[in-house]
Amino acid sequence: MSDHITEESNFSETKEKEKEKEKQKEQDEAEDEELRKLLLSDVQNLPSTPPSAVESNFAIYFALDFMKPRHDQYVYRHANGLCVIGLAPSHVAFKDEGGITAIDFNVGKSDRSGVKVTGKRKKNAQHFESNTALCKVSTKNDSYIVRCCVKGSLLEVNQQLIKQPELLNASIGKDTLLL
Amino acid sequence: MEQKAEEEISNAFPPSSFSSSDLKQLLHSLPSNALNHFFSLGVCVRCILRLFGIKGPIYASIDNGSVENPVDSTTSNETKLCNICLGILQFRFYDDKEKRIFQKDTAYDVALLIADMVRQDGYQFDSFSLEVSIPPLILQNEASLWSYMQSKYGSEPWFREKIHTGCVSIKDALKFSLINPLEKLLDCKSSLCPFRIRLTYTHTKASEGVAKCSDNGGSCKRRKTGESDSIGEGTLSSSVEDESFDFSKLFPKSENEPCNFSYNCSRTPFYFGGRYLKYSRNVSQTRWIIDDERMGEASVEEIIGIKVLQACGGDNYKFHAAGREDIDVRMLGPGRPFILEVQNTRLVPTEQFANDIEKMINKEENKLVRVNNLKLVGSDGWNLMREGEGEKQKQYAALVWTSRPLKDEDFQQVSSLKDLKVAQRTPIRVLHRRSPLEREKIIHWMKMETVAGSSQYFLLHLCTQAGTYIKEFVHGDLGRTHPSIGSILGCRAEILQLDVTDIKMECFLT
Repeated sequence: MSDHITEESNFSETKEKEKEKEKQKEQDEAEDEELRKLLLSDVQNLPSTPPSAVESNFAIYFALDFMKPRHDQYVYRHANGLCVIGLAPSHVAFKDEGGITAIDFNVGKSDRSGVKVTGKRKKNAQHFESNTALCKVSTKNDSYIVRCCVKGSLLEVNQQLIKQPELLNASIGKDTLLL
Repeated sequence: MEQKAEEEISNAFPPSSFSSSDLKQLLHSLPSNALNHFFSLGVCVRCILRLFGIKGPIYASIDNGSVENPVDSTTSNETKLCNICLGILQFRFYDDKEKRIFQKDTAYDVALLIADMVRQDGYQFDSFSLEVSIPPLILQNEASLWSYMQSKYGSEPWFREKIHTGCVSIKDALKFSLINPLEKLLDCKSSLCPFRIRLTYTHTKASEGVAKCSDNGGSCKRRKTGESDSIGEGTLSSSVEDESFDFSKLFPKSENEPCNFSYNCSRTPFYFGGRYLKYSRNVSQTRWIIDDERMGEASVEEIIGIKVLQACGGDNYKFHAAGREDIDVRMLGPGRPFILEVQNTRLVPTEQFANDIEKMINKEENKLVRVNNLKLVGSDGWNLMREGEGEKQKQYAALVWTSRPLKDEDFQQVSSLKDLKVAQRTPIRVLHRRSPLEREKIIHWMKMETVAGSSQYFLLHLCTQAGTYIKEFVHGDLGRTHPSIGSILGCRAEILQLDVTDIKMECFLT
């Protein structure tokens, strides 16, 4: 007799727990649905090609024929004052057969790739003038000096280019970074 | 020590007015040789009582105008400035605000000044805590006098009894004087509580006195805490046999000005904890002003802080959040935990109060910010928020564009990456104010879903370690974040919008 009663009370307990679980699940689903609505609220007019991160965050400048004809470089300037310097697609080096084969940061008085800038105050950053040499890019038959074209302190260079200079030949290429 | 003194005051019998004959009786009960000696040295009556370890409401009842010299019942010491307390226990002081010297006869008169100040500012309170600050020079005096007493009366039996309790400090004697009258005037009891009444005594010559002892190195510190100081003992040991010991040597002359006295009241800060949601892409988390121009149309801290500040009449607020998001990133889901510190509130906030403010903020028309679970928190709130801040996982939803259409294999590849390690160099957009470092972060899981029927736009859901830069993880930051979505899928990827969908922390969820 007592077993029967216990069974019944257990049964109603589990039923209550199930009800609570259902309620919680419904609540969670409702919250998820609301969240989804918010997440997708602005997907009506999406452009076929959005602006790139560089276009959105930097002011893009070109230095054409910098100190020598067809030495074209770009400068991406961020609102915080940092600049990224690189070779523009129209640079003469890309015209050579086979494109760029090597990059050497050891120009001028020091190896730019060995620079170790530390801390918030950017200690050890070397000060550059616009005509200071950044690096030398070589192709099969020729080599070209790349200059800073802005005045500032060198924070870092793109180390990947030393091992993989062919990256410059692809559309994504970054050279150095200045303060 | 302070708590005990306050307890003793409230436990003592009610301050029925002690008559001047009661005071006379009390003075006559003290050892007369020491009593007369101190009287002749220009020590005020309350300092004498406290030197003999007497406590209780008698301090509050003495009227300076009717104190008599126990020896010849004529001249009273109260007309001259006490050499030990420099007038503090005689209720003589220079008031900075009124710019003149005050001479009050009773503790009640001083309490009146204080009570007026409290009422002026409109504080709501049901108790007060009295704090006293005394110039170091006077603490020095106390210590010197105590060691003088030890050497002169150390052998006497009455001293041997007293040595365990010691003498009452000036701070305690002042509290014995003022607490009862203040309780009457403010109609509440004193206790340890957030509402503080602070009495500050300073003395222009005090700093000189302390500077003089600085060449004795460590002994200076002990002097301040009232223990026997080596200089005092040094001087004494050489002259302890000399009966005509020159008391005035211990107390540098020209200290004949009363102290500067200032008083104010304030409340210790209250803390509100909760979670906030940010629905706008034009609202920064904290106030952001460059060259006098505000960035964005508002800030979360101002929206919440100003409402709370106005409602409880505080002086200012400090907003502390568990992490932050960019101005153009929305904060959704359960919200981000925050603590709002409000200083010097005139009203006392309650749980109901917190509920009302939460409703008020969420009712705002422009619906820029929402607050959940706002409530009063104690010091444990800080621990809850700071604990594991660096390890907590965060969940995001990003609207991503890829330069080539994606296929099912791409979706699966992205979903299959669990606990992906990402090396992030400090993003260019923050590199001007952060150290150039490479930080390894973990992307715990990712999930992509198509959007608006496009094959190049996706909603990327991801769960990452705290401190991961999501935008840079999508577009790669010119190769400085590796791997990135672009490098994983072998194409260019751009992020159009970002939302925080969950902050996996335990605090302020109810």
